[in-house]
Amino acid sequence: MSLSREAIVEGLRGILGPEAVVTDERVLVENSVDNFRKLQNIFDVHVMPVPAAIVTPTNAREVAAVLTWANEHGVNVIPKTGGTATEGGLESAVPDSVIMDGSAMNEIVKIDPYNMQATVQCGVPLQVLEDRVREHGLTTGHSPQSKPVAHLGGLVATRSIGQFSTLYGGIEDMVVGLEAVFPNGEICRIKNVPRRAAGPDIRHIVIGNEGALCFITEVTVKLFPYLPENNRFLGWTLMDMKTGFEVLREVMVGGYKPSVARVYDPGDAGLHFSHFAAPDDCVLLFMAEGAEGIAKATADGIQAIVDRHPECTQVPSEYIETWFNDLCWGPDKILAEDERIRQTRNVNRTTEISADWSSINDIYQAARQRIIDEIPDITMMGGHSSHSYINGTNMYFNYFFNVVDVGPEEETEKYYLPIISIIVEETLKRGGSIVHHHGMGKARAPWVRDEYGSSYYMLETLKTSFDPNGIMNKGTIFPI
Amino acid sequence: MRIAVGFKVTPDFEALRAADWARVAAAADAEGRAQATRYVRRVFGVFDEAALELALRLRDARADDGLPTGLAAFTVGGPDASPFLHTLQALGFDCLRVDPGGGPASAADTAEAAGALDFAPAATAALVAACARQLGADILLLGERGGPGGSGTVPFLAAEALGRPCVTCVTAIEPAGADRLRVSFRADDGPVRALTAPPCVLAVGNAVVSMLRVPTLKERLAVRDVPVTQFTAADLGVDVGVALDRAPAVRSLEPVDRSRAGIVVTGATAAEQARALYEGHLRARLEAL
Ligand SMILES: Cc1cc2nc3c(=O)[nH]c(=O)nc-3n(C[C@H](O)[C@H](O)[C@H](O)COP(=O)(O)OP(=O)(O)OC[C@H]3O[C@@H](n4cnc5c(N)ncnc54)[C@H](O)[C@@H]3O)c2cc1C
Repeated sequence: MSLSREAIVEGLRGILGPEAVVTDERVLVENSVDNFRKLQNIFDVHVMPVPAAIVTPTNAREVAAVLTWANEHGVNVIPKTGGTATEGGLESAVPDSVIMDGSAMNEIVKIDPYNMQATVQCGVPLQVLEDRVREHGLTTGHSPQSKPVAHLGGLVATRSIGQFSTLYGGIEDMVVGLEAVFPNGEICRIKNVPRRAAGPDIRHIVIGNEGALCFITEVTVKLFPYLPENNRFLGWTLMDMKTGFEVLREVMVGGYKPSVARVYDPGDAGLHFSHFAAPDDCVLLFMAEGAEGIAKATADGIQAIVDRHPECTQVPSEYIETWFNDLCWGPDKILAEDERIRQTRNVNRTTEISADWSSINDIYQAARQRIIDEIPDITMMGGHSSHSYINGTNMYFNYFFNVVDVGPEEETEKYYLPIISIIVEETLKRGGSIVHHHGMGKARAPWVRDEYGSSYYMLETLKTSFDPNGIMNKGTIFPI
Repeated sequence: MRIAVGFKVTPDFEALRAADWARVAAAADAEGRAQATRYVRRVFGVFDEAALELALRLRDARADDGLPTGLAAFTVGGPDASPFLHTLQALGFDCLRVDPGGGPASAADTAEAAGALDFAPAATAALVAACARQLGADILLLGERGGPGGSGTVPFLAAEALGRPCVTCVTAIEPAGADRLRVSFRADDGPVRALTAPPCVLAVGNAVVSMLRVPTLKERLAVRDVPVTQFTAADLGVDVGVALDRAPAVRSLEPVDRSRAGIVVTGATAAEQARALYEGHLRARLEAL
């Protein structure tokens, strides 16, 4: 029999003490959604089940105690750290869930400049870590736009990626070891080594689990020299995305590792570069960094490649640098965007996918056209590619629509999900992945079987083995 | 009723990080303002944006009462206003651009002239008044102040040139029958709501409604081929040459430091933090009240 709300709160207080159990109704209601249904918070219209409590454990033992108890009583636990999730990973899919907020575990455990690694608890904001390692002349190399607000636990749990990924990789390339707690209370530590071939790489059970398998308490990431004085910026305008993808491909195949390699379509470019790009222009841009010789060789190599495309018109590098310096989103920008939505009911959403070089342009074109044709009230439909690999790239669809004739709480069903489903369909049809870096959350969970195909067996077995009672973040990755 | 809204497209200097100001300042020192602004994207002047949205809301409210409203928008400036004019066309405004320089043949002149006009409010006001006349506006709606460097005098000077009354610090406009409006504005001694009869000039200040709605792609497509009416200052019979020659030139730009001193209240728990805030910072003040 499931526990009552009161019994859940009582049980949690017994484990952690009353100070670490938040039951303020207002706070709970606001925590019933994340950015996926952010209009519910912006307009204060809430329709999701309200969580029973938020707990703030301070160490792995407390996490283990709460998980063991929840596992015994079948209470759904939603792990959380920075709260910047965009795909419903923090949403309460069932009533009386418990949000396990790791943000009180915010100690930088060790910065080790000799072995070039840093160990932090899950609740350390990435910006805090980055600022600290910069004091040593180092960088984490990780720079998602949410850097000022996202925490290391969530960044690992979502398989996040940063703006410099083409050089430093995604978070999965940065994590050397970690500690995680499983629903049965088992505390597992994966040691920090440069590489090993002692069986499968179990880090990947934890990285990207989105709180659906375990709770991450500690992470060790790589560090790199920070040499901004060598940064070089390059930018071009061009007439179509196909050429842009082609240039990106040539740069990647040529073996260059710029930290940033992006192409923006005209709609998205209009939001960022209207001061130098014409309304129909795409914008292609790169940043090369690292040791002086490497940065120079990278920039020179890219210049030579783009020079072979006379349809690309170079713009002063300062334009790109100035733009780049204002790219991250802190709380101020997030609040300003909320206010814009409140006043205009014009909502900005994004969906990111990946595919090989042969398919990416077709997915972009097909999804974009279908959305314009099939979805009402679209005010901008565009996107950019921002993370490239030797065999393909991502597409970050960026779109705006007016919410018309429905309440804010219906925005997801009327607009957002139908758009996602078009992007997902067009991507799956061409063999791409439906999620490049935001995680499946609850938004794209309905397509998990299509995404995995025959390998779904392996994914499902992780869930049934590590979380047999299904208490970890119900509805995330695995639909209910 | 015909409403014309004057707006200005300004560089979004707020979006610049402190570190990038050095570059902007250097460009301003070396080559003047027009060069310095090429690093930043353009935005509607904040008060102008509010004026545009208030005009749309007024049109909608009048339509609910079965009253027709003609909307026009105009700007004095260079071609960098084009995307903004296109947006306004899609929202239902008739659009007009006045080129303060020598017309399409000399884009550089236009940019320089538009920059110089920032510091020539009388010349700007003469052009604004001429646009209002050209558009047959019963109501001229303006933002209280243009972008960086704005003097805040253009609405007054335009009203004077038109011989119309001017209401400033406007925060809301509602219909009041076929020919009148109820205008809310902030006066020295508090908010006022008054019945206003056109023709008049309304200068919008800190309105609660400050952001312009967004047209759909379909609305944009529908006006894709609709041209924006263009005039030079000479076409409107306004001679801005002398004013431009005398206008001060920008020799340097620097950011205004708006940072405020802050104290981080610490404590292990929320309760401890609240106690520290109360004991250390609030208690004495509250007791002094
Ligand atoms: C403005 C903005 C910009 C963004 N830019 C980027 C970007 O550039 N790149 C990118 O990859 N993402 C981006 N995101 C998405 C988001 O920031 C990332 O998904 C980030 O990794 C989430 O971290 P968080 O600490 O906020 O996690 P949360 O929002 O707290 O949680 C995210 C997910 O991880 C799970 N989780 C959280 N903590 C733990 C834990 N300790 N153990 C197990 N599971 C946990 C949660 O259950 C949830 O499913 C952006 C989001 C916003 C709002």
